Amino acid sequence: MSKIIDVKGLSKTFPPSARVVDGVSFAVEEGEIFSLLGPNGAGKTTTIRMLTTLTSITGGEASVGGRNVIKEPSAVRELIGVVPQEVTLDNELRGDENLLLAAKLHHVPPSLAHKRVEELLRLVELGESGNNRVSTYSGGMKRRLQLVAALIHSPRVLFLDEPTVGLDIQTRTRIWEYIKQLNREHGLAILMTTHYLEEADQLSDIVAIMDHGAIKVSGSPADLKENLHGDVLTLRVDDGGEDLTAFLKSVPDVTEVTRTEDSYRLKLPKVESALPAIITSIASRKLLITETSFSKPTLDQVFLEVTGRSMRDAQEGNGNGRTDRNAAAHKSETR
Amino acid sequence: MISESLALGKRSLTKWTRNPFAVIVTSLQALFWLALFGNSFNPANAFPSTAAGSLGPLQQAFGGAATYITFLTPGVISIVALTGMSFMGVDLVFDRINGYLDVLRVFPIPRTSIYFGGVIQNVAKGMVAAPITFVIALLVPNGLKLAQGFGVLNLLGIFATIALLTIVFSTFFTGIAISVKSTDSFFAAVNFLTFPIMFTSTAFFPLSFFPGWLKPIAQVNPVSLASDGMRLLVVNGNLSAAQTSSFIGDLAGLLVFGAMLALLGTMMARNALKAR
Repeated sequence: MSKIIDVKGLSKTFPPSARVVDGVSFAVEEGEIFSLLGPNGAGKTTTIRMLTTLTSITGGEASVGGRNVIKEPSAVRELIGVVPQEVTLDNELRGDENLLLAAKLHHVPPSLAHKRVEELLRLVELGESGNNRVSTYSGGMKRRLQLVAALIHSPRVLFLDEPTVGLDIQTRTRIWEYIKQLNREHGLAILMTTHYLEEADQLSDIVAIMDHGAIKVSGSPADLKENLHGDVLTLRVDDGGEDLTAFLKSVPDVTEVTRTEDSYRLKLPKVESALPAIITSIASRKLLITETSFSKPTLDQVFLEVTGRSMRDAQEGNGNGRTDRNAAAHKSETR
Repeated sequence: MISESLALGKRSLTKWTRNPFAVIVTSLQALFWLALFGNSFNPANAFPSTAAGSLGPLQQAFGGAATYITFLTPGVISIVALTGMSFMGVDLVFDRINGYLDVLRVFPIPRTSIYFGGVIQNVAKGMVAAPITFVIALLVPNGLKLAQGFGVLNLLGIFATIALLTIVFSTFFTGIAISVKSTDSFFAAVNFLTFPIMFTSTAFFPLSFFPGWLKPIAQVNPVSLASDGMRLLVVNGNLSAAQTSSFIGDLAGLLVFGAMLALLGTMMARNALKAR
């Protein structure tokens, strides 16, 4: 696979000195879903705005589809589809008119445009509503229309900025399905931002955790969680009152054991590979395991590990999602 | 760039035609100017003994117009173009506020086509409003009296004048609309600019009524150029050689204004739409 997005040392400073993105580097491969995960105000949207030529780049360099974002912004815009965080459709136009306008502005030949509009409306189950004005659409319908408006010209890269923010769980799940389908069937590379842990976990091939304008760690969701060495196995053992803590600690791979009233909580890198040895050890002492359960670490734990605070704390700490410096950034961006 | 500008212009015009309220209000504005202003500020009211609507001894000062509304109609067509063009750019301000402008900025189009799309739709709207004003002026009691010899060429001349005047104001106010960040700023700027333009023009009264210090400004005001040019066509019908060259001079003046303001507007749009 080759790199469709290549970012090196990308920085953004808004005057007078708000450094919103601080030297981030990452690469997105062809056909990959890459998520920037972080609390509001982490610099995710500014990163996307720089890569989509909406915000100027203060430092570093970036290329999309082999085109330099700073030197060839027009060429980059030919290759990308962008779905912004807010719904930005023309409410007074019909659904199909919004798509046809997007087709025209992407220089899709008129003969192809109508066919493409029909296909895309069907894809997101808006075939029946295409002739209605967007002002009559529900929030979820608008979001679906906005998603396909960015696909009208068959882009090579799709940028999604918080694609499901504010949506109910059912609509969110459907949007996830469309995103997966686009990626699977069309090999579309997707760079998305999200502050939903589950969204990043479910959709992404690679997740980069971003905080205070910097990427703290990146990798596949499974690797990130596995690297925490933090699976938790809970065992209820008929131990006849004997404390097995020291014994369980001696089992290979077990890094931590906590005894509760009626069970033991074991921390270990990967429960699947360690479980047989644990069961064998306990059985060798002629003890009976009466109940087992285990849990995998979450991306929130990964976030906690690399930033020292949980995502929820980070969100609350940013007060409505914006730090002071990002409030300055937002002000500058909306100028 | 032309096809993108036309597509964006069409977007606004589609919405405009779906909102009859806006079309009706634009048309009624001309009715109010002609029926209310035209009657209450009619200088003929000072000479009640003369025939209904006649300007009496002031006829010569008013360029030979048979009635005040005949004099006023070209002025009102120009004023409707001014006020119409000034406010119609508000679509772009809302596009900026609701984020649509950013959506347009990621299309692979010259960013100035966003500006020219706004200009095109404004000019089209202005060209629809002008004939409505003209018809209203003909229907108002003691209203527009067309000179003998007024024909198709005169009508075309009026349309050419309106087209140029709408381009002048559309390029100017669309440049402002694309540059401001809020509706408050936009309306403040529009109010600040339209009234001086309106009242330093010969839309309502002839140049001889202006004090000496204001005459040079009134003479080159685009509203004056358009009003005076159209008046020649309405009042005289067949133009003399001197009147023809005066009319061409007015059109040339509007053309120069239009070109300069289009350049200024393009620069404002480039600056407003570039990545920061």
